Amino acid sequence: MVRKRNGRITSIILILLISIVMAGCQSNNNTSPEATKESATQEKANTEKTLTISWPKDIGPLNPHQYTPNEFFAQGMYYEPLIGYGEGGKLVPKLAESWDISEDGKVYTFHLRKNVKFTDGSDFDANVVQKNFDTILANKDMHSWLGVISQIEKTKVIDANTFAVTLKNRYYPALQEFAVVRPLRFLGAAGFPDDGNTAESIKSPITTGPWVLSEYQKDKVAVFTRNDNYWGTKPKINKLIVKVIPDGEARVLALEKGDIDLIYGEGVISLDSFVALRDSGKFETSISDAVASRALIVNTAKGPFADLNVRLALQHAVNKTALVDGVTNGVEKVADTIISSNFPYANVGLKPYDYNVETAKSLLDAAGWKLPEGKDVREKDGKKLEIEMVYMGPDQVEQPMAAAIQSDLKQVGINLKLTGLERELRNKRMETADFDLLFWGTYGAPYDPHNFVSTNYEPGYGIFESQQGLSMKDELHQQMKDVLLTTDETERQKLYTSIFTTLHEQAVYLPISYLTNIAVYPNYVKDLKFPAHRDETPFDTLDIQK
Amino acid sequence: MVPVLLGASFVCFLLLRLTPVDPAKAYLSVSNIIPTEETLRVVREQLGLDRPFWSQYVHWLWQLCQLDFGVSFFTKLPVASELAARLPVTAMLAFSSLAIALIVSIPLGIAAALRKNRAMDHISRVLAFLGASVPQFWLAYLLIYFMAVKMDWFPLQGADTWIHYVLPSITLAFALIATYSRLLRRGLLECLEQPFVLYANARGLRSFTVIGRHVLRHAIRPVVTAAGMNLGKLFAGTVIVEQIFAMPGMGGFFLEAVFHRDYPVIQGYVLIMAFVFILGSLTADMIQAYLDPRLRQSMGKEG
Repeated sequence: MVRKRNGRITSIILILLISIVMAGCQSNNNTSPEATKESATQEKANTEKTLTISWPKDIGPLNPHQYTPNEFFAQGMYYEPLIGYGEGGKLVPKLAESWDISEDGKVYTFHLRKNVKFTDGSDFDANVVQKNFDTILANKDMHSWLGVISQIEKTKVIDANTFAVTLKNRYYPALQEFAVVRPLRFLGAAGFPDDGNTAESIKSPITTGPWVLSEYQKDKVAVFTRNDNYWGTKPKINKLIVKVIPDGEARVLALEKGDIDLIYGEGVISLDSFVALRDSGKFETSISDAVASRALIVNTAKGPFADLNVRLALQHAVNKTALVDGVTNGVEKVADTIISSNFPYANVGLKPYDYNVETAKSLLDAAGWKLPEGKDVREKDGKKLEIEMVYMGPDQVEQPMAAAIQSDLKQVGINLKLTGLERELRNKRMETADFDLLFWGTYGAPYDPHNFVSTNYEPGYGIFESQQGLSMKDELHQQMKDVLLTTDETERQKLYTSIFTTLHEQAVYLPISYLTNIAVYPNYVKDLKFPAHRDETPFDTLDIQK
Repeated sequence: MVPVLLGASFVCFLLLRLTPVDPAKAYLSVSNIIPTEETLRVVREQLGLDRPFWSQYVHWLWQLCQLDFGVSFFTKLPVASELAARLPVTAMLAFSSLAIALIVSIPLGIAAALRKNRAMDHISRVLAFLGASVPQFWLAYLLIYFMAVKMDWFPLQGADTWIHYVLPSITLAFALIATYSRLLRRGLLECLEQPFVLYANARGLRSFTVIGRHVLRHAIRPVVTAAGMNLGKLFAGTVIVEQIFAMPGMGGFFLEAVFHRDYPVIQGYVLIMAFVFILGSLTADMIQAYLDPRLRQSMGKEG
């Protein structure tokens, strides 16, 4: 197969090398026109008010009704809901100017905002709302995780600006759920595929929102231009460039170089980098209010934690202040209750458990777990006090926190076994309630507290299973179901107070910290204000003054 | 070649389905959805996971025969086009770093051998030591920090022009330079002991001719083998570099796919990797045959 040719070996190698090099150069040359184009757009952009940010992933196809690979933040800033989620969970008018709820709590009538246009010039009216609801309801099963979707019985166009949604049962969080990012946001009629079903794809991202997608290179960059016909307060900046940078440290370097103007989000850079940037004095940094909670689920169904005294001992044994400050450098805030008090119905005045090693020890003694002479692990009936904590192995925060909790528990004579697992394996352990302690995060604003209670009473997710050791479990779960059906505010608050009090007193969670969004930016970025909604972004309110 | 590919694909297919995680659940957890019975059923149906194992495998093979790699569970786009869009970036990165490695390590190896235990040899030894021990990601950050942020000679991220490939290629080439130059040095030193070198010198040939025409031919063979094997490794090993330099290559895409249990993408990627590995060793074998006539003769006899 190879022709025989003696000698000239050097020339063959030489040719081989040259051809490799030439091949390299050639393909390089092919791409250069694009580059000149890009640098030209960048030059032009500098004369306007342009904000460049980075995101770990591509924004996705901007389909308002679908999930991955659509990125939350992109759908959230691009499309608009009927109702917005404001500070402290206050509901504010967006595409609906106002709304009425029928006396039986089942019919929601929305009075739509007039003179709202989509970016293609078409009107926003009840018909296009109907068209969006049609495709969402056609894929009902996919969206069944969102309570209100499975409750919808029918929808109706009353007139051009009035739209009614009828529910099968009373369901108070319906209004909050109209504020979520997906799937209840609105695409212009011309953006729908011919069969009207957006489950597969959309034709084009036509929105009523403040931004228009003007340039898009998958996995590289997306450019949004201000929608000058926007009905609401127009953004102060003209252009928003989103660069895809998967690596956190590379993102920090891009900020230092001036390639991007803002780092924003949850867990987008390591906490060490955040502190380094803050202390460098070159950048402004800010931290949002609590947007969700980080907690340990305590499994009451098996093992030592079936005993309330052991659960209470855990609450007193962990030094949360040292833990949260040490690991997150103050980026997260110490949590005393499972749902932060800035959430709706969550400010119920529970008394925090203090960090007190002695209290923890005496509680363990009372539970029958005694410390034998000369040993450092407690025992009961010849069995050692050993518990297992499951956490997400590669997580930059959970891992050091797990180690810190391990050393805290050692102080009181508990041997904590750490099991770090990859996300999907950890999820499996959670569903089967195969753990003593498990790191978990709530869904946050705008989903909580109503989503929190449904994750507690629905079997199959692992939390319901972990609460099987509670004597009042049936009553508790019934209250959780009832609270979602309430129409009366006082009644609702009463039930929530009772639920939160039981969870707190029974110590079924060890609240650790409240998650926050962070922002790092040079001082020419002004007026950055964090939205209350976990998945929304501040790009439409901030300003640039160079 | 076909049996190897078929075997690789089957093992991959089987192992994926033996893992205890349900891709439908993975999809939901990535989308931040609480899995309910209905959503799980819908997603399983959408992904074709409700069918029995053999039916899935035969279906996949049948699609493959029509050059269809299936549709990604996550991006919802055809795997073939997703990989095709990313392959050039990874291939470019792999080949350019291999080229840099060869261009630097061949002269370096020769110099180190001819100046054994002199300054040049020590320099190459230090380089080899660093190349073997410096972690790739750290080198990448160092290069970014000094060359891109401090000096502003290179862009930070992207894959638009050849300038974007300089730093990532150097990062990848660094470890290879270490291996290749040391391999070549050792090969050369061994060959220089051979009687034919003495004979060539006795014939009064210039040392450039001796090295270039006679010695290098033998000494470079380990490097060729290593380079052939590295081709596959390079393709697979660009992951970290792609992430740090934000290059839209196959590595990052594959990594995501593994986290998400995106079966079609993993299967397609494994198949392509198997192909690249085979191609690498085949090319190396062919170059070997050019370099060493004895190999060709023995092959000819067997054939």
